Amino acid sequence: MLFGPHETNLGRGRRFSDRHVAYYGRRAAGGAGVLVTEVASVHESDWPYERAPLAAEGWGDVLGACRPHGALVLAGLGHAGGQGCSAHRREALWAPSPVQDVVTREVPMAVEQPEIDALVAGFGAAAALAAAADLDGVEVDAGEFSILRQFLSGLTNRRTDGYGTDRTRLLREVLAAVRAGLGEDRIIGLRLSCDELAPWGGITPPDGVVIAAAVSGAVDYLVPVRGGAMAASRPDLHVEPGFGTRLCAAVRRAAGVATVLQGSVVEPVAAGAALDAGVADLVEMTRAQIADPDLVAHVRAGHPERVRPCTLSNRRTAVRDPRNPLVTDDAEPSAGHELDDDWPPPTDPRPRAALVVGGGPAGLEAARTLALRGHWVRLVERAPVLGGALRWAAVVHGRGRMGVLVPWWAAELHRLGVRVELGAEITADDLDAAERAGIAVVLATGSRPAPPAFRSDRPVVAAGEFEAAVLAAGSTPAALAALAGDAPEFRKATFPNPAGSIVAFLEPGVGRGGVEGGGAVLVLDPVGDGTGVGIAEQVAAAGPPTVLVTPDQVAGTQLARTGDLAPANARLARAGVVRELRSTLREVADGRAVLEHVWTDERRTLDCALVIDCGHRLPADALWRARPRLARAGDCVAPRTLHEAVLEGRRAAALAVRA
Amino acid sequence: MRLAEPLRVGPLRLRNRVVFAAHLTNAAVDGVVTDQHVAYYAARAAGGAGLVITEEHSVHPGDHPYEKLIRGWDPAVVPGYRRLTAAVHAHGAPVLAQLNHNGGQSSGMYSREPVWAPSPVPDPMFREVPQEITTAGIAELVAGYATVARHCVAGGFDGVELQCSHASILRQFLSPLTNHRTDSHGGALEDRVRVVREALVAVRAEVGPDRVVGVRLCGDEGLPGGTPLAEMVRTAQLLEPHVDYVNTSIGVATATLHLIEASMHVEPGYALFIPSAVRRAVSVPVVGVGRFTTPAHAERALAEGHCDLVGVVRGQIADPTFASALPPPAPAPAPPGCQQSHHQDTRRPDGGFPDTGAAGAGRAVAAEQLSGQACIGCNQECVGRVGLNRGLQCAVNPRAGREAVAVPAPTRSKRVLVVGGGPGGLRAAATAAEGGHRVLLCEGSSAMGGQVALAAVAPGRAELGHLVRDLLARCRALGVEVRTGCPVDEAVVRREAPDAVVLATGATPGRPEWARGANRVVDVRDVLAGRVAPTGSVLVHDELGGHAATSVAELLADRGCAVTISTPAMVVAQDLGTTLDMELFHRRAHRAGIALVTDRVVLAATARPGGVAVRVLEHTTGAVAEVAPDWVVTAVPAEPRDELWPPLRDRPGPAVHRVGDCLAPRLAADAVRDGHRVGLAV
Repeated sequence: MLFGPHETNLGRGRRFSDRHVAYYGRRAAGGAGVLVTEVASVHESDWPYERAPLAAEGWGDVLGACRPHGALVLAGLGHAGGQGCSAHRREALWAPSPVQDVVTREVPMAVEQPEIDALVAGFGAAAALAAAADLDGVEVDAGEFSILRQFLSGLTNRRTDGYGTDRTRLLREVLAAVRAGLGEDRIIGLRLSCDELAPWGGITPPDGVVIAAAVSGAVDYLVPVRGGAMAASRPDLHVEPGFGTRLCAAVRRAAGVATVLQGSVVEPVAAGAALDAGVADLVEMTRAQIADPDLVAHVRAGHPERVRPCTLSNRRTAVRDPRNPLVTDDAEPSAGHELDDDWPPPTDPRPRAALVVGGGPAGLEAARTLALRGHWVRLVERAPVLGGALRWAAVVHGRGRMGVLVPWWAAELHRLGVRVELGAEITADDLDAAERAGIAVVLATGSRPAPPAFRSDRPVVAAGEFEAAVLAAGSTPAALAALAGDAPEFRKATFPNPAGSIVAFLEPGVGRGGVEGGGAVLVLDPVGDGTGVGIAEQVAAAGPPTVLVTPDQVAGTQLARTGDLAPANARLARAGVVRELRSTLREVADGRAVLEHVWTDERRTLDCALVIDCGHRLPADALWRARPRLARAGDCVAPRTLHEAVLEGRRAAALAVRA
Repeated sequence: MRLAEPLRVGPLRLRNRVVFAAHLTNAAVDGVVTDQHVAYYAARAAGGAGLVITEEHSVHPGDHPYEKLIRGWDPAVVPGYRRLTAAVHAHGAPVLAQLNHNGGQSSGMYSREPVWAPSPVPDPMFREVPQEITTAGIAELVAGYATVARHCVAGGFDGVELQCSHASILRQFLSPLTNHRTDSHGGALEDRVRVVREALVAVRAEVGPDRVVGVRLCGDEGLPGGTPLAEMVRTAQLLEPHVDYVNTSIGVATATLHLIEASMHVEPGYALFIPSAVRRAVSVPVVGVGRFTTPAHAERALAEGHCDLVGVVRGQIADPTFASALPPPAPAPAPPGCQQSHHQDTRRPDGGFPDTGAAGAGRAVAAEQLSGQACIGCNQECVGRVGLNRGLQCAVNPRAGREAVAVPAPTRSKRVLVVGGGPGGLRAAATAAEGGHRVLLCEGSSAMGGQVALAAVAPGRAELGHLVRDLLARCRALGVEVRTGCPVDEAVVRREAPDAVVLATGATPGRPEWARGANRVVDVRDVLAGRVAPTGSVLVHDELGGHAATSVAELLADRGCAVTISTPAMVVAQDLGTTLDMELFHRRAHRAGIALVTDRVVLAATARPGGVAVRVLEHTTGAVAEVAPDWVVTAVPAEPRDELWPPLRDRPGPAVHRVGDCLAPRLAADAVRDGHRVGLAV
């Protein structure tokens, strides 16, 4: 089981920090077999993100925390080349050719022989430093963000010299230098992009297999990955878990060297099956071990069901973001905060009776925490099922995986002996009675929809309540029919073209203006996370014309960090969802929605049958207002995400029993 | 000149009316003041600023909207405060600290706590629902202001300013948009002002009468339903008994930042209507702000009676000596805490290498005495970087944001040949000459400025030209020999026999594969230089994402063309977002009828009678369309013009350096930075 290299922002400046040490040490303690540290720059010309580590700073401390647990520690070594960011070093980026990066639009300088020599020497010197630190080896990065891949790819290598006519030459030179620096008795791994998802010029799987075979003699293991400017190695939950299986098997057959399966592998069972089937010799489960550092330990103990599932939302694990967020997890907020949080919690000396009001994520985690701390816990949920808003979130098109946590929590509460009462209400009087009885109380009563900020004579439903309706009605079409009520039944209408005058100029491929459809379902999204985009996809798949209205310049703007921004917009385009960008909904009158451009104030109208409002919600805090001294957690404090709910569930549990 | 006149502000006497007003620098590390802060603020004091007000100091641990925030609530800040205030005082300027809590204009990303706000109204940028602050929370907040004021006194500040403007919980209490409370802190204006008054009273109790307390109020949030100007003026009147001055602002830092830090497309003094209204209503001094890039702009604001003091931020980032051009002030008594006896001359000591004749003037002319470098309002390196969690820098002043990094002293004077008179070459020449080298700058064409001079031709972009104007003036003042119409080849290099050559030869327009053979497919530079004059319908194909495409689109639309900007990216001209040009561009484009299309890749372009036939792929769907504009203008990556590089690199001779686009085609700011670095390194 391999814990792969990934950005963490845990560094102190460009050095590995005590946070890193605790983070990796925790995964080693939980059973990870091989840990590859965050890719370190092998040369000063590389500074791809502010906290990108430099080779050698602090590897020994990581080793010291991991080796006692029996884990191998390898140093990730790399250079991001033209995919770096000149904002930090403030000099031109290095690359094989002056080809503009697709994402950053930076044009790099073409390296010449002196730079190539420095690069090769840098890899060799970094390997020597890793050996000096007594690491078990290194992993060379020729994956998603790497100058080595840029040399391998026809998209970015347009050289006419020996490094262009033979695009694997630099990689071979680097591997030789690494071996020379590292010595024969330590491991060299290679993370190799074998698919750039750009067949018109990029590395394709057949190319990747050839490259892998060509360099396999120089390495001890290979990690074939999908990776490049248009291919994320760790895509979000829209890409099926274990997507790298076929590629891995092909590389393993051709290369004849130990091969690691990578690509959203999250289920221990699937990992085991891949090993049994001879697809791979090792399995990389990075995000799964961020979500549960004890993954291997649980499996070893015969309790794979206790592994906290990984959502693959990428919302907290993907941290290439200029704000430098620390790596963490949707439902394991102590990931990345090993030094900050008292987690796992201690057992309290005096067991108490505890009452948790609300069975959403905050309440579930509060109840679990109280039980782990040794208390007798009763959880009361008003609905007939557990899960709260997380159940709704998992109905959103393409986001079903968000729901994996609900049955896990239910099983955990069962295992820990928590008494769960469904379909029951708690009143302020009940809270007073609990207080008199010395019962610790946590309120986790969730959120309620905010009233619409616009007038409408067509039905308006909040996103959560829409998904609740879908669950109740059994399908999206049934829910739409029920919610649209007596609105004209998706009647025929002509859409104005959202792009204004463009149609005349670039038709017919543009804007899908003049599409015949019915009164549209307007998905109003002032938030820009996965919800609005997903609901628009969901509605469009159900049939009616769908318009996504957002104040932003792209739909789902917050998805940039998760890697789903471009894929999401492409899915919307293919699904025929009209994106009304830079727009707000002013009103719906006589079934006509009035949209206003946020900057030009230009107004447009379109037929509207139903508005689904994905806007922010308000706390459902009536019980807390009645008894404001009680501990509370999650959305009833302020409606935010799963991560905050879990974090505050833990904190409120500790607070409630301290009182 | 009124700008040079001293002014009394509460207990302080300022030597002039130029204020280095509060702004984010991202220089803090672990929440405390760094050497960079100290050097940065000291440089502006040394340059003559009348008053320095630092960036905000947060008053509460739950308030952590961006990573590099000064945590004023933490007692660990005090030693840094002392170093900062001593350094500023040493140059004869008083220094205030701005105190703030960002309220709902924040997230829990760093604090791992819910954010506080008057009401659970999410900020449009941070998009996190805040927790409605409780009565106990308000008391804690007010106590936080007092705590930080106490730290400021201990740290030697001459007073404090309470931010009730850009990103502030106090503004959120004042604004009907964000305060929906029904308790004694919501409702009527007198109730919404209450918390501000409580904080001012608490702060005054800490700082006493001998230090300044000011307040900064927002006069126009730029949002429908926001605080009206009349209400802001009334607020100033209500608070006047508690303050020594009123500072003003326009815009909200998260929702309408483009109003706060307007780019070159906005006239200087655009926000003066706010201090003007306040000044008529209060008797304490009033500060006006709003893109004053020259002393003349600032002087005019005073002369017309809009304000008593002028906040000049970007003008002093670009030119720390902005205020030094003013007539010398009358001798002023040191403000409290000032240590004038420790006055330090920040100029480099003379001597250390041989006199170098004409270029020796560079040694004699201290940087402060040279003609200044005016802010061009490009917003790339100041606003643009700070918004991305990076340290503040400046496109025209390569020292900005790096004041704490010592400039290496040259060991011996060399003869330096700079090839190319664009921003990279000019900056390399100026920096080399400042270091005592003898510099010859040869520009092949008849005009200086390279692509920047061209870009300045476009509507609203004229101030770009000031970069060239000021660098050229600096070069001349430093004794650089500047030759135009002087192409350089190997023979010229041999003849001049320099010790070092700096190649700054720029880049030639890129020509996409698909454009070959269609003569009506031209580059943006062809249009700006007047080599072609497209008419009719024009497709501007943009792969750069900056101002090149939009500038040309606006130019052509002004001339009556029907213009569409098309890009493979998801957003047209995405970089206009970071420089705060996006909103105004959209308004102008809307008025001009410029259409904007995304997700389009050009597959082929062929000549057709009177125009171009273009095959366009919508890459998200795979749909292919034919369009038939009269002209296509491309904004695509340029190609380095580096013919001189291989021969000079490969043959024995002088050391050769490349700067700017001939190394890698980028922006003017990159060329300036390259030029400065190489100018130091020669």
